[in-house]
Amino acid sequence: MIRSGLLGIVALAFLQGTALAQMHTQHASEAACEEPTLRCATKATPAFGPDGTLWLAWMAGGQVSVASSQDAGRSFSPPTQVTTTRLNLDWGPDARPKIVVDRKGGIALAFSIFRDEAFNGQVLYTRSADGGRSFAELKPITANNESQRFEALALDQDGTVFAAWLDKRNRVPAKEAGRKYEGAGLFFASSRDGGATYAEASLARDNTCECCRLGLTFAAPGRPVVIFRNIFEGGVRDHAVMTFTDVSTPGEIHRVSNDDWQINACPHHGPSLTVAPNGTYHVAWYTNGKVRKGLFYAHSRDEGRTFSAPLALGRPDRSPTRPFVLAGPAGTVMVWKEFDGEKTSVQMTISHDDGETWSAPKTISSTTDTSDHPLLVSNGRQTYLSWMTKADGYRIAAIEDQP
Amino acid sequence: MRRRFAGLLGLGLLIASASAPGAAPALKPFERGTWQSVLRGHAGRPTLVHFWGVTCGPCKVELPLLGQFAKDHPGIDVVTISADLVPNLPAATQSMLDRAGLSSTENFIFNDGFVERLRFEIDPGWQGDIPRTMLISRDGTITTIEGSAEMTDLEKWSAQQLSTH
Repeated sequence: MIRSGLLGIVALAFLQGTALAQMHTQHASEAACEEPTLRCATKATPAFGPDGTLWLAWMAGGQVSVASSQDAGRSFSPPTQVTTTRLNLDWGPDARPKIVVDRKGGIALAFSIFRDEAFNGQVLYTRSADGGRSFAELKPITANNESQRFEALALDQDGTVFAAWLDKRNRVPAKEAGRKYEGAGLFFASSRDGGATYAEASLARDNTCECCRLGLTFAAPGRPVVIFRNIFEGGVRDHAVMTFTDVSTPGEIHRVSNDDWQINACPHHGPSLTVAPNGTYHVAWYTNGKVRKGLFYAHSRDEGRTFSAPLALGRPDRSPTRPFVLAGPAGTVMVWKEFDGEKTSVQMTISHDDGETWSAPKTISSTTDTSDHPLLVSNGRQTYLSWMTKADGYRIAAIEDQP
Repeated sequence: MRRRFAGLLGLGLLIASASAPGAAPALKPFERGTWQSVLRGHAGRPTLVHFWGVTCGPCKVELPLLGQFAKDHPGIDVVTISADLVPNLPAATQSMLDRAGLSSTENFIFNDGFVERLRFEIDPGWQGDIPRTMLISRDGTITTIEGSAEMTDLEKWSAQQLSTH
């Protein structure tokens, strides 16, 4: 009797052990495996260097690594590990390592970690001055210890690295004063030494949505432009664009679209922005507002002051998500994901008239398990889709212009 | 022999602690097909399903309010589902549920890396924003509240549900 009781306990223990093990099996993870290799990556971010080298930064197994390719992604160099220990990397859906490569081959990198058990974030940065063979010790981008996440990097023509991120430092004085504090501040800092050191952080805009990626690029030399999910009056989380006067001086904000998404939540779904050589701003975003729901595109031909009427993207019955837009040499390209209940596909459309008209969307890739956001990257001659998938590994493919 | 006994004793203690009276039931894995079984399991009963996540700021504010709501409304089935994208934080999830007074409700945690598919089964139009609350009435009608729910709205819905019983 005692024995059967013990056996019962053992059996229960095994059952519980099995249940716990099942909670950690690979299908439960976004990653195909747990090593720091590219095959195990959940997020991979590409950037072309001025010499045509493709650089890839990825997060896998709690580490951030970098490798390069001389053949547009068909093969990669042995990776260099940027992190020296396994970190609690920000695994939010809109988090990923950021990478820019300057004219001298210097590589600036930034990413976020969760630095405590309350999921307060911290933005870390580093730089390689030896062609990616080694990276400097990781440093926080700001001395402030309040939560920071959703960093973005952009490179100016003169080599200045501009960083923007979402930062919750202003909730402290608000709390002390007994005021309610919504969202997070959009902060920025720039680096004149290629990302080796950054100037002191400054506030561009307070009370923006705290959990969506930023879109960041340069509208013209010395003039960064950022798109972000703002919190407008009444808790409406619609998108806004801000063009800086210079790398130290934020500009006014302009609303991209009046979607009227009044929500107190984390949409985890940030926008995308590119500026064409002629100065047109192209933006794409997700909303679930009263006025419109889904993915949308718009452009601005007056430096982001006014935008065209939103153009809906994708099939509403296929849950279109994660838009990315890039003005490239052969036209302006947009990609996004759709899900049909079994597989995720990347849809692509292209415009040859600066965003006035767009080709019929075309499926250019698909996968049967989880995947990173689809990204676009250009080497100045060709635009590529860059997509990390769990089932099929990392993919980079030239965008074909033909229908 | 002694070692084996010690091992059995250890396992026994593990189970005893997990099944002690008042101990929190374990988080259940939410996988492909779980949504349909949740709907079946609560069919005919007014049910509040709350989607949240440990890194979501508004969720941290709402969860204790929901704990109080569950305590005050034993006639409503309360189900929580941690819908963070990576289900690697059962300890943090359970700890937040415990602190919010939601230890004894039916609590799930997403356990499939292919979150698009999980979300599609629940609501093809849901892109993953949390918090999110689905109110399922006795007849199966689902009302979805995006973002933080107003407790007054939950009270109103609850009163309607219980008065029609």
